[in-house]
Amino acid sequence: MIKVDKSLCLGCMSCSNVCPSQNITRSESSEKRIIHWKRCKEECDLCVEFCPARALTLVPFDENVPEPDVSFDLVACRICGSRYATEPMLRRIEFVLPLNLQKDSTNLEWIRICPNCRRDIEAENVTKQIVMERGKKSR
Amino acid sequence: MPVYIDISRCIGCRSCEVACQRVHGGKGHVNVHYVGDAASVPIFCHHCEEANCTKVCFTAALHKEGERTAYDVKKCTGCGLCRLACPFGVVWTDKIAHKCDLCDGREGGPTCIVTCPANALSTDFDLASKRARSRAARAAAQGGRR
Amino acid sequence: MSTKLVPSLCPYCAVGCGMYLVVEKGKAIGVEYMTDHPTCEGALCPKGNSVLEFLNHEDRLKYPMKRVGDEFVRISWDEALDMVAHGLARNIKKNGPQSIGFLASSRCNNEENYLMQKLARFLGSPNVDNCARLCHSPTVMGLGAVLGTGAMTNNLIDLQNSKCIFAIGTNFTEAHPIVSRWAQKARDNGATIIVADPRITSTSWMADLHLRIKPGSDIDLLRGMMKVIIDEGLADKEFIDERTEGYSELDLNLKDFTLEKASELTEVPAAEIARAARIYAKSSSSALLYSMGITQHVCGTDNVKACATLSLLAGQIGRPGAGVWPMRGQNNVQGNCDMGGMAEFYPGYKKASDPKSIEFFKAAWKIDDLPMGPGLTSTEMTDAALEGKITAMYLIGEDPVVCEANINKTKAALDNLDFLIVQEIFMTATAKMADLVLPAAAWAEKDGSYTSMERRVQWIDQAVPPVGEAKEGLWIINEIGKRLGLDLGGTSARDVLMEVNRNVPQYAGMTLERISKVGGLRWPCPDEKHPGTDILHKERFSTPDGRAKMASVLNKPAGERTSEDYPILLSTGRIVVHYNSGSMTQRCASLRERDSELYVEINPADAAPLKISHGDMVKVKTVRGEAEARARISEKVKPGMAFMPFHWQGTNIITSDAVDPVSKIPEYKMAACRIEIIA
Repeated sequence: MIKVDKSLCLGCMSCSNVCPSQNITRSESSEKRIIHWKRCKEECDLCVEFCPARALTLVPFDENVPEPDVSFDLVACRICGSRYATEPMLRRIEFVLPLNLQKDSTNLEWIRICPNCRRDIEAENVTKQIVMERGKKSR
Repeated sequence: MPVYIDISRCIGCRSCEVACQRVHGGKGHVNVHYVGDAASVPIFCHHCEEANCTKVCFTAALHKEGERTAYDVKKCTGCGLCRLACPFGVVWTDKIAHKCDLCDGREGGPTCIVTCPANALSTDFDLASKRARSRAARAAAQGGRR
Repeated sequence: MSTKLVPSLCPYCAVGCGMYLVVEKGKAIGVEYMTDHPTCEGALCPKGNSVLEFLNHEDRLKYPMKRVGDEFVRISWDEALDMVAHGLARNIKKNGPQSIGFLASSRCNNEENYLMQKLARFLGSPNVDNCARLCHSPTVMGLGAVLGTGAMTNNLIDLQNSKCIFAIGTNFTEAHPIVSRWAQKARDNGATIIVADPRITSTSWMADLHLRIKPGSDIDLLRGMMKVIIDEGLADKEFIDERTEGYSELDLNLKDFTLEKASELTEVPAAEIARAARIYAKSSSSALLYSMGITQHVCGTDNVKACATLSLLAGQIGRPGAGVWPMRGQNNVQGNCDMGGMAEFYPGYKKASDPKSIEFFKAAWKIDDLPMGPGLTSTEMTDAALEGKITAMYLIGEDPVVCEANINKTKAALDNLDFLIVQEIFMTATAKMADLVLPAAAWAEKDGSYTSMERRVQWIDQAVPPVGEAKEGLWIINEIGKRLGLDLGGTSARDVLMEVNRNVPQYAGMTLERISKVGGLRWPCPDEKHPGTDILHKERFSTPDGRAKMASVLNKPAGERTSEDYPILLSTGRIVVHYNSGSMTQRCASLRERDSELYVEINPADAAPLKISHGDMVKVKTVRGEAEARARISEKVKPGMAFMPFHWQGTNIITSDAVDPVSKIPEYKMAACRIEIIA
């Protein structure tokens, strides 16, 4: 069975996705993501291998150990307010990317903005000039 | 070679979206965004030279192959970090990641380029500026209209 | 596994894009782009990309059905065809052949339409029409009167040779997306683009000059431009003298008109009208593009005539890049009109009111008697059905209870019929009213030719067999003929094409082999050596004396005006992801997910006092009824104006059925409405 270091878990879905026996379940509401590890007897360690945070270890089966749960509040997009990621995942991104890439030319902390709004911002940026030109032509 | 857009040509018809979705089993990798009532533009993968998505991918499912930001489905665990690392919001994860693959293996190149009614898309980075220069030159040459 | 690529055509609009269908085991499983097609170069709009979603849709009609009470019951083809024969014979016997109305289909191929009008006329009914009535009948009438031919003068590719594109009343980037390819090419070549449209559209985005005219003021704008052209000596005198008539009347017509008056009537600054006129007249080759913003008015025919007259005045016609481009709607609306599926014309535009036409076809068809026309137009058939003068109708691929204006009236008319036959690929709103529903093969399931808006005639072979027990239109019409004792000749499309070659002069040289090639041939093509015609009116116009007839027209008030109770002017039009009645596109998930419900564009200035916010559900009411729609608050429409796409049934519940007296087209573009929020 699997032991979880909750302080390391990112709340990503890797383990649940790679588990061949559907022993790691996820439930997600609009505000929360909960990951649940069933006590499994298998000697498989795919989830351990594919945990980006090395938060999982394979331990001997013990039916007295309660099945672990991790719960994450999803982070709200600073623009539209939709919940789009777990805090540890965003921290991980901030840890991996060089600091100078974490803000765009307008000093916007884009990592704290959901992908949908990122596309909107990109669309606004790339069309700025043409929108201005067209504004001059049309009254 | 990524797909470039001549924004002055985009008519917002969403043909690229529908075509991309059609050839990728229902999952498209391009979104047409409308900016007020004045413009539209498809937003898709830039195939960044220093691609964030490849940096956060811990299995190297996302990696560079020359100019392409390529994607090896067999290595993907669906963790979703790439989706959060893309500044343009053009990597998706549902179970596994998916993104623009420039229609890898498709004869005739990226579908969006072929299908675009307005001929707004191409792999030529300079096309939009070449066209603008041509327009300016011809307008000047026509100074003496009949 | 053997898969093959079968050349085909997009079944939607009249651009006539080519495509390949990927066929495996008798089923179409994919679409591939036809990059060597001259008009589209492989491109397809979102609708073209999703054609298989409706072709293979589970809702396709698979067997004949008859009405029993409120239900439909499956029957055999034998029983269905007997019912058709008995139903038509019964009504002919009781009320005469004039009591039968036929609607041919601009969605079906030339051969089917040729046979359909032949069936009508063999039975003695002059009443055969098609939905060109609702979109470009003013083009057939107006361009016919001025230029001699009611069709696009040049081709779409030729737009790249234009140095000025003047688009009035057409949102071609949405309605005919591929056209923007050639307009953009022209722009690269230095063309100036002028768009006249009350709305901001993706077409107006590309304009160098956008004239946001007041709805219904097209003639005022065109006369204003003509006035500038004459006053500033920009008229092409030589061209006018050599090739036209009616200039002095036009001069007189414009004598007391002023640019200032035009500006006042159109709400466009005088300087912009003048600038548009100068650019249009001075450029070395100017194209005039128009569509339903011009035609769908009570003055639709006059609007078209004014467009054509402007082109004559400036000598901007009959050359590469110079001409008049009506943007037509359905894949075969041009062909249907060519084939005589119109109340006023026998095949080849032979006037139905001319005894010579009757004599010609009596001889060609070896029949003793044929009805003189003009017959009733589709809009007149509706009135006649209400009055009990039309008692039976046979409709192919038309959905009038979604598409006609004021459809409550149309419904009452169809309800009043003794017998209604609908031949369709889906159970449309109209089919639901039928006594008998005949399942038809879709475009990919039959042989035949289609004529695009650029007069391009293209043949496609059957790619896949019809679904279920659905049958090709030719087979159905022929079987009906047989049961009524008529020999309509030729059950195969090839045979009918040969008859078309003999009887329609424009198609004389269009043999199967020639029009099967990618890109086909463009009419007129008078003999088998003729290469087809790219540009009409190069040397002479197709009027009897070869001279164009300039028209002197005056604007006319709309059929309906805004009032205190109905203060907002409602206009309608197309959007890019849907098509006409929506029976096909709304069954395509990839289109429906992009626009799923009826909406109404309202200017913020009108929405604010009504407390309407973006996304609210509202009721749009006119004197004829009401429709529910989602509000889109947008500057795209001018204050005092609203816009609704017509791909949902709600829209035409409320549109105005006032018609143009010449072409009988309803005024879809001008209804007075009131908008209320739904609490």
